[in-house]
Amino acid sequence: MFVYYFKLGVRSLRRNRFLTALMVLTLAVGVAASVSTLTILHVMSGDPIPEKSSRLLVPEVDNGPPETYNPGTEQDDPQLTYQDSINLLKSGKGVRRTAMFGLYAPLEPPRKDLPAFSAYGMAPTRDFFAMFDVPFLHGQTWTEQDDTRGADVVVLGREMAERLYGSANPVGQRLMLMGFPFTVVGVVDKWNPRPRYYKLIGGDNFGDAEGFYVPLSTAVRHERNQSGSMNCSMRREPGYAALLTSECTWMQFWFETASSGDRAELQEYLDNYIADQRKLGRFKRNAPNKLYDVMEWMDRLKVVDNDSKLSAWLAFGFLVLCLVNTIGLLLAKFSVRASEIGVRRALGASRAEIFRQFLIETGVVGLAGGLLGLVLSFGALALIGMQGSNIAAIAHMDWQMLALTFVLSVAAAVLAGLLPTWRACQVTPAIQLKSQ
Amino acid sequence: MLRMTNLSKVYRTHMIETHALRGFEIDVKEGEFVTVTGPSGSGKTSFLNIAGLLEEFTSGEYILDGVNVKGLNDNARSRLRNEKLGFIFQGFNLIPDLSLFDNVDVPLRYRGFNASERKKRIEEALAKVGLASRMKHYPAELSGGQQQRVAIARALAGSPKLLLADEPTGNLDTQMARGVMELLEEINAAGTTILMVTHDPELAVRTHRNVHIIDGQVSDLVRKGPTLVQTPVTA
Repeated sequence: MFVYYFKLGVRSLRRNRFLTALMVLTLAVGVAASVSTLTILHVMSGDPIPEKSSRLLVPEVDNGPPETYNPGTEQDDPQLTYQDSINLLKSGKGVRRTAMFGLYAPLEPPRKDLPAFSAYGMAPTRDFFAMFDVPFLHGQTWTEQDDTRGADVVVLGREMAERLYGSANPVGQRLMLMGFPFTVVGVVDKWNPRPRYYKLIGGDNFGDAEGFYVPLSTAVRHERNQSGSMNCSMRREPGYAALLTSECTWMQFWFETASSGDRAELQEYLDNYIADQRKLGRFKRNAPNKLYDVMEWMDRLKVVDNDSKLSAWLAFGFLVLCLVNTIGLLLAKFSVRASEIGVRRALGASRAEIFRQFLIETGVVGLAGGLLGLVLSFGALALIGMQGSNIAAIAHMDWQMLALTFVLSVAAAVLAGLLPTWRACQVTPAIQLKSQ
Repeated sequence: MLRMTNLSKVYRTHMIETHALRGFEIDVKEGEFVTVTGPSGSGKTSFLNIAGLLEEFTSGEYILDGVNVKGLNDNARSRLRNEKLGFIFQGFNLIPDLSLFDNVDVPLRYRGFNASERKKRIEEALAKVGLASRMKHYPAELSGGQQQRVAIARALAGSPKLLLADEPTGNLDTQMARGVMELLEEINAAGTTILMVTHDPELAVRTHRNVHIIDGQVSDLVRKGPTLVQTPVTA
C-alpha cells in the first residue's frame, strides 16, 4: 500500500495547486534556513580526522603566575613554552610527537619574473606530516637528521610550489627563504582541513593552506619569531635565546598515541613531568594538567562560536514557525478531502489506513519541500559564501547535509501532518457521504 | 443476510436525546431486493448507516451474514464492510481526480488483491455496467447516469454479498434512473442482496419487499399485485 499511497500523494500535489505550492514553499524556506546554518555548523564542528582524532592529544599545562590564578577557570593561552615543548618532544611518549609555531617569512622566487613576497608557513617537526596524514605530491618530509641539525630544507604547499615552479617537480631546487638558501625536499598535495585543527591558535581557522613547512629546529636556529600569539605572563630577558628559556607560551604541541587507551598513561606522564618541573620552581599555580583529543580541543578553543550556534537556533525557530504555517495549510487541504475520506472509509479503509495514506501524502509534500529547500540552501550558501573567501570555503554542502535536507524536510512535513492527519481520520463517513 | 433485533440508535447532545431508531427489527434474506422508504427524519439514513457499519448503534443486536457486529473494533468493521458490503450513493461519490479504473480499484486495494486480480475484477465490473471502453476517463467526463454506473461497478468489483443503495436514482433523470434500476435488478437476479433507500414509489413496487420506516420503527409493506399493502408495525 505504501507505493499506492505514495502515488496518491504525488497526484495530490496537483490538486489545489496554490495550497500545495504554498506548503512546499513554506517548508522549503524553513528547511533551507536550517540546512544552510547547519551546514556551516557541520563543517565547523565536524571531526576533521575521524580515524585518529581520539589518538591525537594536545597537552595543556598552566605556567601562569599564582597571584592571578583563579581555580576552575580556563588558561588564557593554552600554548606551551619552548622548553616544555622540547622536553615533551624528547620524552618519547606516544608513537609520534610534534611541536610547532607559525611563520610569516620573506621568500625570493627562483623565477626572475616574480618579485619577492612574504608567505605564511609553519615550523613543525617531521612527525607532523605523518601525524596529520598530510599527503605528498612530490618528494617527502625531511629526515630526522634534518630535524636534529636544523637543516635548511623546506616542504612547499602545492599552491606555493605551482606559484614558484609551475607544474614542474621542484624537489632538489633551491630557493631563498628567510634570507637563506633552502632546498626543497617535498611538495604537499592539496591539503587544507577546515577547521585547521592542527594549529588552532594564531591565524585563521578556516584560512588558506600553509605555503611552506621548515623544521622547527631550523626556524629556531634562524631565530624566527612566531606568527601568531604569544603570552608572557612573567618578565623575561630580551633576545631570542632568552625567549627560548622564558615562561612565554607560543608553541603548539601534539602527541599521537598508538591507541586511545594510552591516554591515561600519557596523562600520568604529563602529571609527573609537571611535578618534576614544580620541584624546579616552575608551575606555581598548581592547576590541573589536561589532555585534549581533536574534538575536545576544538571545543576548548570554541571553533564553533556562540554566534554560529545562535544562528542555528534561530534558523530552527524559523523552521518551527514554517511548520506551524504548514499545519494550517494541511488542515485546509485535508478539510476539502473530507468527502473522499468518507468514500474510502465506506469502501473499507480503516482509520489506520486513512492515517497512513495522509501521512505518506504529507511525506510527499515534505520531499517536494526538500527538493526546493535544497535549491534554496545552495542559494543561501552561495550568498553566505559571498561574504568572504574563508566563509566560502566552509559554505558548501556534502552528501551528509544533502541527505539531512531531505530527512529534515520529510520529518518536518510528517510532524506538521500529524494533527491534520489525525483530524482526517476522525471524519464521520456517514455525514460526508450524505452531504455530497 | 442482515438481521437487526430490538436495535436502537440514540443521538445525544448536552441538551437533548434524539431516538433515531427504537425497537428496530428487520430481517433481510439472502437474494432479496428490499426498498426502504419513509418520510424525512424517519430514520432511513440512520438505518442504512448502521447497516453499512458506518455508524454504531446504541443497543440491540445486528447480525450481518452471520457475524454479530456489536463490539467489533474499527479494523474489523472496516474489513467486514470491505468484504461483504457494496455502497451506492445518491451523489455517486466518485473520487474526482482518479480515473474510472482507479475509482473502481479503491475497495480492491483495501482487500489486498494482487495487481492482476484487481485488473481482472475492474475490467469485468466496468464491462458489466457498459463502461469498459472508458476506464481511463475521469468522472467529470461522464454524465450523471454513467457516473452512477461507475459507482455500481465500484460496489460490485469486490463481489459483495449485500449492496446498500442510498437513493441511487435521486440525482438522475427518468431515463437514466430507469437504466440504473434495470442494472440493479440484473445484479439482484445474479444473486446479490440489495437494500435500497428510495423516495420513489414506482421503484419500490419493482422490488421484492418494501420496508417502511416511521419514527424509527419498521412497518413492512409487501407487494400485492401492482400495489403495496401496509402490515402492522413489528415493534
